[in-house]
Amino acid sequence: MAAESPTSERKVVVHLRATGDAPILKQAKFKIAGSDKFLKVIEFLRRQLHRDTLFVYVNSAFSPSPDELVIDLYNNFGFDGKLVVNYACSMAWG
Amino acid sequence: MSNLEVWDGTISQKDFYVAARTLVERWKQVNPSLPQWTWIPSKSTLMGSSCKEEGYLSLENMFHIDRNEECLIVDSFSEREETDDVATLVHSTSNETHIYDFHIVYSFSYKVPVLYFHGYQSDGQPLSMDEIENDLPPSSSKILRESKWTYMTLGEHPYVRRPWYTLHPCATSDWMKLLLGGTSMKDLDISSYLLSWLSVVGQAIGLRIPLELQQRSVKHPSASCFIINN
Repeated sequence: MAAESPTSERKVVVHLRATGDAPILKQAKFKIAGSDKFLKVIEFLRRQLHRDTLFVYVNSAFSPSPDELVIDLYNNFGFDGKLVVNYACSMAWG
Repeated sequence: MSNLEVWDGTISQKDFYVAARTLVERWKQVNPSLPQWTWIPSKSTLMGSSCKEEGYLSLENMFHIDRNEECLIVDSFSEREETDDVATLVHSTSNETHIYDFHIVYSFSYKVPVLYFHGYQSDGQPLSMDEIENDLPPSSSKILRESKWTYMTLGEHPYVRRPWYTLHPCATSDWMKLLLGGTSMKDLDISSYLLSWLSVVGQAIGLRIPLELQQRSVKHPSASCFIINN
């Protein structure tokens, strides 16, 4: 019986940052299991902001696929003990 | 252009060429076993001379295999008296292989990259928009249906000169500005423009972009190693 990998039990601190005219969350920092997918962060944002169309990205300049594991994102792009996730709402059109 | 100016999310044709080189190299490092992005130089410019820095990126022969998954759910609680070989209970799956080509073309009017793509069956028959939408994962369909920053349409491919499907670029500079615009103009790393761009566009069309492609700190070979496809 293999012991559970410590990496998968690890929690990651996520800091949600509003950009542009997106509303700022009252609770912008939270912990999430490293083994969770990024989809969970996206869905959390959608619920909190009551909006379905959000542009969500990490400051190293890309938008993570919802399938990415939070721990992988943190290990590669986190700093200062947290993963900063930016979100924007409106996008100019036309 | 002064360093105090706010970047507008667009790039020049020359920037596009530099960014294209970076994408080709990084993709080769990260995805060596997949089909590769290749730079296709345009045969002539508006002036009639050829310039290797004008052209587009091509990624061809990406296979999409559609397994009819409903057929794989076998009734394992059937009340048959004899033990049937499980294999015989499964309908033959319709393994339809679709093949996709993706081109990234620079738009002189929007000053951003534009994705052109098309799909076809293994016998060469082109796929309709419905068939392509059917191939998309649910998350991509959702993006194309609901997002305000792109939609799928038919457009004339400026080099191939035939209608290909395309993702409309009208909002591209806005979201690229969000992705890369945090830094001042002089710190802007244009070479990674397409890596960022692809992270967004890939999600819309179901093209899997590995996380490693986004690691900027990895130093890659200089331009002298770049090979242009003839």
